[in-house]
Formats: sequence, structure tokens, C-alpha cells
Amino acid sequence: MASRFWADTESEEEEEEITQSDDEGSEESATAPSGWVNKAKSYLKGAASDSDDSDTQGRTVKSTRERRNEEMLSTLEQIRNATKINDWVNIVDCFDKLNKQLEKVSRINDSNKVPTTYIKALVLLEDFLAETFANKEAKKKMSSSNAKALNSMKQKLKKNNKQYEELITNYRANPVDDEESESEDEEEPDMSDDGVDDVIEYPSDEDREKDGEDEDDEGERKGDWVKSQSKKDKQMDKQFMKDPSEITWEDVDKKFKDIIAARGKKGTGRVEQVEQLTFLTRVAKTPAQKLEILFSVISAQFDVNPSLLGHMPVGMWKRCVANMLLVLDTLNQYPNIVVDDTVDMDEKETKKGVDHKGPIRVWGNLVAFLERLDSEFFKSLQCTDPYTKDYIERLRDEPLFMVVAQNVQDYLERIGDFKSAAKVALRRIELVYYKPQEVYDAMCKLAEQNTGEEGDLEGEVQELSRGPPEFVKIPEIVPRKPTFPESSRDLMDVLVSLVYKYGDERTKARAMLCDIYHHAIFDEYPVARDLLLMSHLQDGIQLMDIASQILFNRAMAQLGLCAFRAGLINEAHGCLTELYQSGRVKELLAQGVSQSRYHEKTPEQEKLERRRQMPYHMHINLELLEATHLICAMLIEVPGMASPAYDRRKPVNKTFRRLLEISERQAFMGPPENVRDHVMAATRALTRGDYQKCFDTIAKLDTWKLLRNKDQVLDMLKTKIKEEALRTYLLTYSTCYESLSLDQLTSMFDLPEGRLHSLVSKMIMLEELHASWDQPTRCVVFHNVEQTRLHGLLFQMADKLSVLVESNERAYEASTGGTLEGLPRRRGENQETGVGGGPQGRWQENFVASQGRGRFGYSGRVGGTGGGYQKGTRGGFGSSRYQDAAQGGRVGGRTGSRGGQVDGAPRMVNLNRGIRA
Amino acid sequence: MASTHDLTWKVAPHLDRHLVFPLLEFLQERQLYNDEEILKAKIELLSETNMVDYAMDIHKSLYHTDQVPQEMIDRRVEVVARLKSLEESAAPLISFLQNAALVQELRPDKQYNIQMLNERYQIGADQIEALYQYAKFQFECGNYSGAADYLYQYRALCTNPERSLSALWGKLAAEVLMQNWDIALEELNRLKEIIDSKNFASPLTQLQNRIWLMHWSLFIFFNHENGRNGIIDLFFHDRYLNAIQTNAHHLLRYLATAVVVNKRRRNVLKDLIKVIQQEQYCYKDPITEFLECLYVNYDFEGAQTKLCECEQVILNDPFLGKRVEEGNFVTVPLRDEFLENARLFIFETYCRIHQCIDISTLAEKMNMSYDEAERFIVNLVRSSKLDAKIDSVSGTLVMSTNHINVHEQIIESLKNLNMRTYMLAKNIVEPAQAAAQASAAAR
Repeated sequence: MASRFWADTESEEEEEEITQSDDEGSEESATAPSGWVNKAKSYLKGAASDSDDSDTQGRTVKSTRERRNEEMLSTLEQIRNATKINDWVNIVDCFDKLNKQLEKVSRINDSNKVPTTYIKALVLLEDFLAETFANKEAKKKMSSSNAKALNSMKQKLKKNNKQYEELITNYRANPVDDEESESEDEEEPDMSDDGVDDVIEYPSDEDREKDGEDEDDEGERKGDWVKSQSKKDKQMDKQFMKDPSEITWEDVDKKFKDIIAARGKKGTGRVEQVEQLTFLTRVAKTPAQKLEILFSVISAQFDVNPSLLGHMPVGMWKRCVANMLLVLDTLNQYPNIVVDDTVDMDEKETKKGVDHKGPIRVWGNLVAFLERLDSEFFKSLQCTDPYTKDYIERLRDEPLFMVVAQNVQDYLERIGDFKSAAKVALRRIELVYYKPQEVYDAMCKLAEQNTGEEGDLEGEVQELSRGPPEFVKIPEIVPRKPTFPESSRDLMDVLVSLVYKYGDERTKARAMLCDIYHHAIFDEYPVARDLLLMSHLQDGIQLMDIASQILFNRAMAQLGLCAFRAGLINEAHGCLTELYQSGRVKELLAQGVSQSRYHEKTPEQEKLERRRQMPYHMHINLELLEATHLICAMLIEVPGMASPAYDRRKPVNKTFRRLLEISERQAFMGPPENVRDHVMAATRALTRGDYQKCFDTIAKLDTWKLLRNKDQVLDMLKTKIKEEALRTYLLTYSTCYESLSLDQLTSMFDLPEGRLHSLVSKMIMLEELHASWDQPTRCVVFHNVEQTRLHGLLFQMADKLSVLVESNERAYEASTGGTLEGLPRRRGENQETGVGGGPQGRWQENFVASQGRGRFGYSGRVGGTGGGYQKGTRGGFGSSRYQDAAQGGRVGGRTGSRGGQVDGAPRMVNLNRGIRA
Repeated sequence: MASTHDLTWKVAPHLDRHLVFPLLEFLQERQLYNDEEILKAKIELLSETNMVDYAMDIHKSLYHTDQVPQEMIDRRVEVVARLKSLEESAAPLISFLQNAALVQELRPDKQYNIQMLNERYQIGADQIEALYQYAKFQFECGNYSGAADYLYQYRALCTNPERSLSALWGKLAAEVLMQNWDIALEELNRLKEIIDSKNFASPLTQLQNRIWLMHWSLFIFFNHENGRNGIIDLFFHDRYLNAIQTNAHHLLRYLATAVVVNKRRRNVLKDLIKVIQQEQYCYKDPITEFLECLYVNYDFEGAQTKLCECEQVILNDPFLGKRVEEGNFVTVPLRDEFLENARLFIFETYCRIHQCIDISTLAEKMNMSYDEAERFIVNLVRSSKLDAKIDSVSGTLVMSTNHINVHEQIIESLKNLNMRTYMLAKNIVEPAQAAAQASAAAR
């Protein structure tokens, strides 16, 4: 294989990079290759076999490909040389060249896979760029052309890198090999402690080799392990190779203390420490001691990855899971062992043997370990490219975690620690809540199948720590297979009720949100709505942590989708509109980073944001969400726009109006491409009353295929569109007709007669339409209410005046603190002028209390007549706030309303605020 | 099935055992269920009470035997024995209370009373407790008037708020069972105050108490003359409405009926409909559906069919279908009222959206004959409730449309502002003047 060459150069480059990035690392750089070569080779192997599989003309393709690759490599080399002499003009040239080459390469490869070489170049450039910018003096010294090139490079790179963002992060987290520590090191130079650690991570050659192989090839481990053991290990072996019976508790304890003391110090390899500790677990004398050491092993395993951004290696994670299970086995076997992390332990506590009767305390915190395990799992999913196989492989590990979580929960419940059990239950809920029944079933099936693999894993663990036979044998007690109830609802119910009973405030709130989300997925809109309104989560969500706020937003989005599927347009609109108000829906749902044109984010903010991202499989489809939102807005806004000028109400959805204006300003209308275009085209059709075209345009959207009951939803949508088209038509043309017959209308809009009658009647009742039925002739007779422009203006003036008076009164109240006595109650008035008085007004006022208009009257209304939603106490969530507000009658209503004003800022959660705080 | 809309099984869990009796009696009378089933239910009900003799009677009639199961006989002996013992322990206090002259000595001050009883008559906490138990026992035996008296007196002496609350519940139940509606209403209000002001251990208990209260109040409100206002006031109270929406959706039927029947409380109709709409996913019956048809969908035909069903529902409901015998006629006053008002609702809504109506269709919609309908309309027009004329030749009713003049509208909307501004000015100026005068006077 000619690619051997590539592999070699690559590894050399790798080395160079390291030398550049940290000087101290130079000593180790000379002697690393074996591991890298291996890996690079296997990478190439994979790539080559890909193409071999598919086509017969393998040879030629291969050679061109190699040529391209070589070209690229040489360019990379050029760039590197240029960086050394700080020649930016050259770099820019090379960069352009590189891009061209990339095009060629991808053309040949017929795939979108970007060669690693390219990514490497990008990373190199990025780093060097950052370095140069950091070094101000050097920058000043630069020639003008050079500086110019530097700046243009910065722009280009920024633009360019955006498309490869994921790959780059992947590469950084995982530069071909598993040695993320280096790249992390570059990324986070501020973490000084870790920096020191990383440099000394590989103190000796043997270690290094062992490490490389360790990650690299599981199969070889068996043979190489002994050979590659470090000196320390050997020493230890020697010490403990004595007859196991000669080893005393003290020996083990001393060794254990030694190893623990070395933790975090210079010269301690993290991986190595794990090995040592694992070894110690086998020679531990008492179960308690074994447990104590096991806990240390687990912590050491968590320590392996020092960075916040990266995740723990997958293999390590799995071993960690196995260790957790072992811990649980031990705890089940010896129920007198108590795990505690609050009290200082007695030195000799773990010396107590199996036959000790009383409780033995061991330091540790199962819940903390479990939570860490979960977040590592989460992080690893965040970091993996969702379009790769790795991601799916990683997802398959989920049942593994479920097992541990379930067992931990069982254990905690058995020992009566329900508070911690609730925490664990929450973790389990968070793995299940977003899964529709199909996915849930698939997970159950996977868990069924997984047992075989797991057995392998166990075996692996066994092999890994070959050594003297285990002194304390622990049989497998806890089940290694998760058990799932038939439907995910059952599982949720069990877990959620546990959390509601024992959880703390945050846990409860999160569980509640997950519950809402889950109900929404399962099309149980009323239940989800009641849960949301009863729990008063909207009131306090802004005070909660950002992760919970994101969860809240997700739940709201899902609730909106659910309402839409159920045909509740107004409710769906109420849920979704706030998400779209700011235009940062991606950020609000943590599904990708949105770039804002107006303010740049600092790298820290970006990093934080990236850490909050949802893994891909939990995403809510944004296109569907946008389509839903815009269609709801369309159905509400279009009739509103058609109503005559004098009683035109304020636009309900400003975002939609703005979009519509933009699209109307365009000189030429192209065929619709994205979701927005489609809805805008539909809107234009609907404005003309052409319901068929409107529906066709919307039905063309391909996001509908994501819906389970697609046909039903589209039928619903069609009826809604017809109805709104009818309303629009009537409002627009009522002035032109004296009368319209019912039959004519039914044939025009293809609506059943009863429905049409009811719609028109409703409009008449609500005085949207000045008309009445003529029963004997079955037609609508319009009463033309003439209104001149002067009248219209007068009405406007009257409105403004009343606003003026109101603000006067408010000012008076604010200054005196009292209320005005003897005034007519304004509550009733507001009710009349409010949003149509229909049921929709209700929903909005509760949800979107932030809407500017009539804040005053609105909350008054809630205090006085409403309260329907504020249900108080089901599920144990108290509602003192509301009760207080209602207590004082009118005065209470007022004060309540002022409170409403204060927190009247957008309900939807603002993430940036949290960041700054 | 006539029993489809029967709510007894939903209402009963929220009632006291003794309160369920009237419901069962009613059901028996209406013959919604098998006699046997009801009798069995009665025995079941009685098994936990002390009305053993009654249970025996029912048993006999149910199985047509003179034999009574041994357990009932045993229970009877037990009950009698317990009655004796309780009578004994409560005797001193009861004899004290029966002596009017001695009762005169009691004062409103509880502490004083207790001390006084203790010192002068050797009546301590034990005896007072015994009084409570005795009263409870009396109630269980079906001696409601006795129980009510004892509980009244017990409340005067009791210091434990929990006990006092349950005594109040007992009193209420006794009064309801004796059909003393006035007193029962008083007790109800007292209880409501306590429930609202008391700090319950958990909001859940408070909610439960409210729901109980609402259920018990049904007896009173549909029998007391002013009950129809009372029920609207109570149920529309925010917290009680919340309770209904949370855990007692079926109470919406009674609320809806009360609102329909009550002519003076039309203003709450809008709110009621909102509530009904919100809860329609978990509760609906013909009465709520009728309102929904009429005011949400404007579906008059639907309203019409629902109205027929409503009639049945009302007749079969123990609270709503109360009968009154006048001479030879048996009438259900609530049904008549309901139907009349419902018709009026339909008519009003119909007229509001029409300008010309065929009277025969109207008659059909309102479940009337043509002549009846015409008379009905004429009456309305005469009493100037309806601005319309009948076109007798074509048999139509022509509504005179009246539009509010634009000028009037504007003036109307501004009139209010004038007053408000005036008030504002007055509020600002008066204190200032007062202050000025005060300072002048001081000088």
C-alpha cells in the first residue's frame, strides 16, 4: 500500500504540531510513532476498502486519489513552512490552492467526506491565526501587505470554517487518534493545572506505548499488556505476587493511600492510575476495602478526561459502567456496608471483614457517580458527528446506562434514600421523555439484544485486569439487563410520581417539564396543558438554570406542535410565537448556534453555548416547527388583515407581518424554496381567497412526512384554510355585496352547510361582520355601515385618549400608592376590547402575559374572573402566589397587575442573560 | 339508557354515607336501576353505620325472608352496648346541658366555661370528648336532631380546632338530613369561612375539603329559596372554580343548570362557557353540550336535540329533579324553568343573528307549536324585550335592525373618559386643597 507514506508523514506532522504547541513536550516527541502508525493505517484501510467495495476500476481511482492527497499534503507543508516565517501572503495563496484541491478531491471521491488533511490544515491555520493575533508586537512589525493578507485570511477562514465546524471540533477533540489531551491543551491554555498534567501524561516510553495500544486495538491487549506494563506496575506486581494470603489489609491500604496521594501530582499518568487501582481491587482484603478502592477507580476513570469540552473515551466509559455494576453487586451482597459521603471515615473502617456484624461505612456517592456517568454520555453524544456510525454506536450504549441507573435507583429505594432515588429517577426520565413510542420500543428491543455484547464487555474487563485471582469474589447479583414496561407512559408515570413525591424543587420542575413534553408527544394536549398551567412553571422559569430553561422551551415547542396536530390553531400559535419572536430559535432550543449579525459573542459564550447543545437525536425538527408557527400565524393574521380599516386589530404576530412585508417588497417572485417561501406563497393565495392553491402550496412542504398522522393533519389544515378563506372573503367583500346566499357560499368554499352557518353566525355575534341572516331565503344580508375616514380617525383618537387617561391614572396610582376610588371598573371594558372575547383570548393572556397591550386589564382579568387555568393543587404544587393575588379582590387585582408588569418581559427564556449573570 | 348521565356514582364518594341515602331513594323512585341493586347498595351503605334495624328491614325485603344474617344481629348487640357506655360517660355533661338554668351560666369565653365546668360540676375534658363521641354515635344511628343539638353544644365547649371542624361537618350533615335548609345554609357559610381561612397541612387537603363542601352544598342550594344565587356565588369563586376544574368536573352540570335558570346572573354565562370549553375533554353532558352548541358553535339544531336530552337528565338527577306536588299534579319546577330559559336563550341568540325568521321554523327550534311560538313572540314584543314585528301574512318575524350610530359610538366611548379624568383631577386637587386649608388653619 502506497498509502504507507501518507501515514508516516501524517504522524510526523502530528509530532511537529505537538512540538509547536508546547515546548515541554519535545522530549517525548521523538519516540511515539508506533501508536500513530497503527491508527493511521487503520484509518486508511477503512477509507480504501470503502472505494474498493463499490467499483471495479479501483486502481485508477486510487492513484488519482493518492495524487490529489499528495498534492494536498504538499500544500499543507507549504502552509506550515509559511507559518514558520510568518508569511501571510503565501499562506493566503496556499489556502486558496488548498480549497481548489479540496474540490477536486471531493469530486473524485464522489462523497462529501472531507479529507482529514484538509481539516488538519484548517486547524493549523486557525491556531496560528489565533496565535498571531494574540502576539500584538509581531503584528505591529508586519509589513502592510502581510497585515492585509492576515486580515483577509482571518475573514476567509472564519467563513470557511463555519461549514466544517463540526469536523474541526471533532478533530480537535479527537485528532485521528484518541490523544485528545494535546488538542485540548491547545484549546484551553488557561487550565494551568491540566496543562501541567498533560505534559507529563506520558512519563516513559513504555507507558506511552501501552497507552497507545490500550486505546487502539482491543484484541492485542491480551498479548501486549504484560510486556508493556510500567515499571511501577511491575513493582507492584512483585510486591503482590506473593502468595495472596500473605498480603495483609495494611499492605493494600498503604499502597492504596500511596496511589491516591499521587492523584493530580506531576508524573502521575491518569490512565496508569486507573490500571493500578483496578489491580488493587483484586487483592483487596475485605469487601469494604474493595468497595473503597472501586470508588477510587471510578473517580480515576472520570479523571482521565480533564477537559470540560471533551468527553471520556468510550471504552473507559464502558469500563466505568461495569465498575458501577460491580459496586452495586458488592452493596447487595453485603447489605451492612453503608455508602456515605458526609461523615469522615474512620481509618480502619474498611478493615472490618465479611463477618463484621455492624454497619461498615464507606466513603462514596453513588448518585454523583451516576450523574457524572450520564453527563459524560451526553457529552460524548454532543461531540460526535450525528451523521456517522459512531453516533449510532454510541446511542446503543444507552441501555447500558439505563441498567446502572435502574439498579442504583433500586438500591437507593431499598435503603430508603428516596431523595437520591428521585435524582436518579430524573436522570432516567431525561433519557426517556423525548422518545415516541416507536423509538421506545426500539430501545427495549435493543436492550434485549444487548446482553450478548455486554457479556463480552465483562469478559474484557476480566481480561484487562489479569493478575492474581480476585481475593474477594463478588457474584453478579444485580440484573445486567434493563427492564422496561410496555409503554413509555407507564415508565414515565412511575418515575415521575417518585420524583414528585421526593424530589427537590429543581428535580420536580424538570420532571414536570419532561412529563409535559412526553404528554405532548403522545398527543395528549389537554393533559400537558393542565400540567403546565397548574405547575406555574412559566412564572418561575426565568429564575431557573439555563438547562431547565432550554427544557422549558423544548416542552413549549412540543406543546405547540401537539396543539397544532389537534387542530388548536390559536393555542399552537400561543405556544410557538414567543420562540420565534427573537429570531433565535436555534439558540433557545439549543439546537445549533445561531449567529447574530449585531453582536458578536465572545469565545467563552460560544463555548458555553456549545456545551449546552442538545444531542442530535433529541432535536425537534426546526422546519416542522417553523412551518407550524408560520401556518398558525397565517391562519390568524390573514382574516385580521382583511377586516376593514376602522376596526383593524393590532397584529397578533408581528414576526409574521414583517416576513410578509419583506416578501411583498420583492420585485420578482420565484417559486418557493424553503418553508418560509412556501407559507408566504400560501398567504398570498389565502389573501385572495384561493383556498385550494393555498392548501396545495402548504401540502407541498416535505416536513409533513415527519408527522405520524400526516393525512389527518393535512385534512384538518385544509378545513382550517377553507374556513379562514371564507372569513377573509366575507370581511374583504362585505362592502361590495348586499347579500350572499348560503348555497353559493357552500359551493364556493366547499364547506358543509352547518359549519358555514356556524362560522358566519359567530362572526355576526362577535360583530366582526355587520350582517344578519335572512332565514326564509337562506342568505346573509350585509348592513353597510358607512364610515368615513373622519370617523375612523375619530375612533383612533378616542383610543389614544383612553390610553392617555389610563396612563394618567397609573401615574397617579404609582405616585400615591393607592387606587382611585369610584371609578368605573375597567375590567369589563377590556374584556370587550380584548382579543375577540373568544376562547383564544384566554389562552394568550395566560401564556403570553408579556404582550404589550392592556397588561393592566389583562392581569386584572386573571385576578377577577379567570383563574380557570390556575388550578392550584393537583400534583402537589402549591399555588400560593395566585391565591394571594386573588385574595384582595379589586385591590389585590391591581397589585397583582403591577407584579405582572414587572415580570412582563418576554416570558420566553433569554439565554444570554444567564450567560452574563 | 336513562342512567347514562347519572352522576350518583361520581357524587357519592364525596358525600357522607347518610347523605347518599336520599340519592338512593330518589334513584329507586325513578327506577333507573334494578330495585335489587339499589337495595344491595343500601345495605352496603348501612353496614358501616349504626342503623342496624333499618339494614335488617332492607335485608328482609331484599331477600324476602325473615332471617337476618348473624353478623347483623351481632352488630346490633354491639351497637346497643356501645350506646350504653357512651351514654353513661356523657351523662353528666348532658344532664348539665339539659338544665336551662345551668346553661345560663355559660359565657362566650370558652376557657372560662371549661374551668367553670371542671371546678363546679367535675366535668372535664373526658366528658366533653364523650359528648362528641355520643353525638357522633347518635348521628350514626340516624338520630339527626339529637346529634345536631349535641354537636352545637359541643362546639361551644371544644378547644381543638380539628375537632371543631369535624363537629361542624357533622352538624351540617345533620341539618341537611333534617332538611332545615336555613340553618344548613348558615352552617355551610361558617364551614366555608373556616376552610378558606384555615391553614391546611397540604393544599391537597384544602382542595378536598372544598370539593366536599361543594358537594354537600348541592343539597342546600337546590332546596333553599335563595340557593340559585348561592350556588353561583360559591362555585364561581375562583378557588372553588379551580377545585371544580381540578377534581370535580361533574359539578359543572349543576353550575350550568343554575346559571341557565337564573335570569339575573347572565353575566357569568361567558365565563361558564369558557370553563366548559376548557374541560370538555374530560367532562360533558347534555346540559354543558347544550350551552356549547348554542354559544360556541351556534348550532341551533344541535342545541335543540341537546335540549331534549337535558330534560331527561334533569328529571333523573337527584338534585335537579325534585318534585313538587300541587293538587293532583306532580311537577318538577326546575325542569320547567330550565326549559323556559333555555328556549329563551335559543330565541335570543337566533334573533340576534337574523333579520327575518320564519315563525314555523322558530317554533320547531324551540320545541313549540306555531301558535305557542307566536304567542311567545307577541308577549316578548309587547313587553318590549324584543324589537321586532310579526309579518302575519308570510308567517315571518322581521327584526328591526338598529345600528348604533357612529357618532353615538364615539360619544359613548369618550363619555367615560370625561368622568374618569374628572375623578382623577378631583383626587389630585382635593388632598392638595385639604392640605392647604390645614396649613392655613394652623397658621
